[in-house]
Amino acid sequence: MNDLRQGFHRDVEEIRSQIGRLGALIVEMIPRVTDILLDQDLEGAEYVLLGDDEIDARAVDIEERALRLLALQAPVAGDLRQIASALKISSEMERSADLCCNVCKAARRIYGHELDPKLRGIIQKLSTQATREYREALDAYVNLDAVHAAALDDIDSYLDDLHRLFIQQILESHSNGSIDLQVAVQLALVGRFYERLGDHAVNLGQKVRYIVTGWLPEQEALARFRAREEAESARGAAEQE
Amino acid sequence: MSFETAKMVDQEDKMTTTDTSPAESAGTAPEGMRVHNLDIFYGNFLAVRNVSMDIEPRAITALIGPSGCGKSTFLRSLNRMHEEIQGARVEGTVTLDGVDLYGPGVDPVVVRRQIGMVFQRPNPFPTMSIAENVLAGMRLNSKKLSKSKANEIVESSLRGANLWEEVKNRLDQPGSGLSGGQQQRLCIARAIAVQPRVLLMDEPCSALDPISTMAIESLMLELKSSYTIVIVTHNMQQAARVSDRTAFFNIDGTGQPGYVVEMDATEKIFSNPTQQATSDYVTGRFG
Repeated sequence: MNDLRQGFHRDVEEIRSQIGRLGALIVEMIPRVTDILLDQDLEGAEYVLLGDDEIDARAVDIEERALRLLALQAPVAGDLRQIASALKISSEMERSADLCCNVCKAARRIYGHELDPKLRGIIQKLSTQATREYREALDAYVNLDAVHAAALDDIDSYLDDLHRLFIQQILESHSNGSIDLQVAVQLALVGRFYERLGDHAVNLGQKVRYIVTGWLPEQEALARFRAREEAESARGAAEQE
Repeated sequence: MSFETAKMVDQEDKMTTTDTSPAESAGTAPEGMRVHNLDIFYGNFLAVRNVSMDIEPRAITALIGPSGCGKSTFLRSLNRMHEEIQGARVEGTVTLDGVDLYGPGVDPVVVRRQIGMVFQRPNPFPTMSIAENVLAGMRLNSKKLSKSKANEIVESSLRGANLWEEVKNRLDQPGSGLSGGQQQRLCIARAIAVQPRVLLMDEPCSALDPISTMAIESLMLELKSSYTIVIVTHNMQQAARVSDRTAFFNIDGTGQPGYVVEMDATEKIFSNPTQQATSDYVTGRFG
């Protein structure tokens, strides 16, 4: 049968391709800001920070398109999940770009300080791993591949390990005097930025699973909260008797 | 024949002798319809008061509002169909591409040929074949048609109404044998066969199932590249999905005249209307 809502489905596809393009920008941005950090490239940092406005504008554009479709087209089922997810994904990506900008700002603050090879090596690994996760998540989104998307949580544990290793190395480098306290603090933040980029990739993967299957992540905190609520109300009922 | 009627007939002749779309063949860019300070009466009863709106050419304008607020009455006044009711009259002006439809001596039949109408319940002529149904408007308008020209019009109108593929092998069978959705598309084919400039639709989908409704809606989106469309609908999602501009009609109480509360781009009406009454209606708080 013909697609009876061609215009609407074209609009949904347009939102998907806009998200694909925004995601591709971020996948390119992560290694770029790492080079800026390691090469102490202040001019490059300036360009990235200026470019953030464009990314914000793209994210707002996706949000507006999604809201428009929600208001006018009353989407249901898979279409509804696509559009509801687009609202969340666009803000995940906008936030990811901000993290890249934060790496550039850190590069400005540690300008002029030499980093020892061990630190540089781990930063490079953090960057490579975050980029890889983001690319995997984006591929899963573009191909609507729920299986790949589900693997992201495990892939991310390597990034978390690298993050812990990086913190240890910062403490070591600081105690043997190769970096001062200010640089140590900035580097600890940088490590956190990469770790958060990985988390955003994992969230993107969860959204892909939601779009494809309607699955929502099990929320442990939510389960604990509900159990406590039930216990409270049971106790309240017992006291009344 | 008055000057105004002569002018409309003149434009119409141009459109039937060329293959271009109706408005282009009229020689000038279409201006659409302009309604100015329109009051609609049934005898002494004022049914709709003081409507002014511009209906943009080659766009879909939706009229929404609660029952009895005068949407259908207003729609019928756009092609002088309401005059079929005894004692009905209007004050104010309605123009189509600059010609006043209520000007002295303008023939309502000519007006209705330019501004076609599709009704709530599909109403093909039950004894006529599918092909005859399509040509009914042409025959009523006493055009002499050659066989080949007639076949051409049947095919192009049915194609225009997305019905050709479904009925091309049974054109000589009665129109009443079609499904409800097909009958409605047949009525649309009949309406566009006379190449009107405007199509008025009064709840065209309210008697149809969701799939037929979607088929009519997607047809409307195709037709708007050639026609100006005005649709009355109680289905707000339908207004939101298909229309470019939406007018919200309301009524203050029984016996009071209906009026336009707000008219704007459809997106604005459904996401951020200016008037509280509009917001209450589209969000379902009305009443």
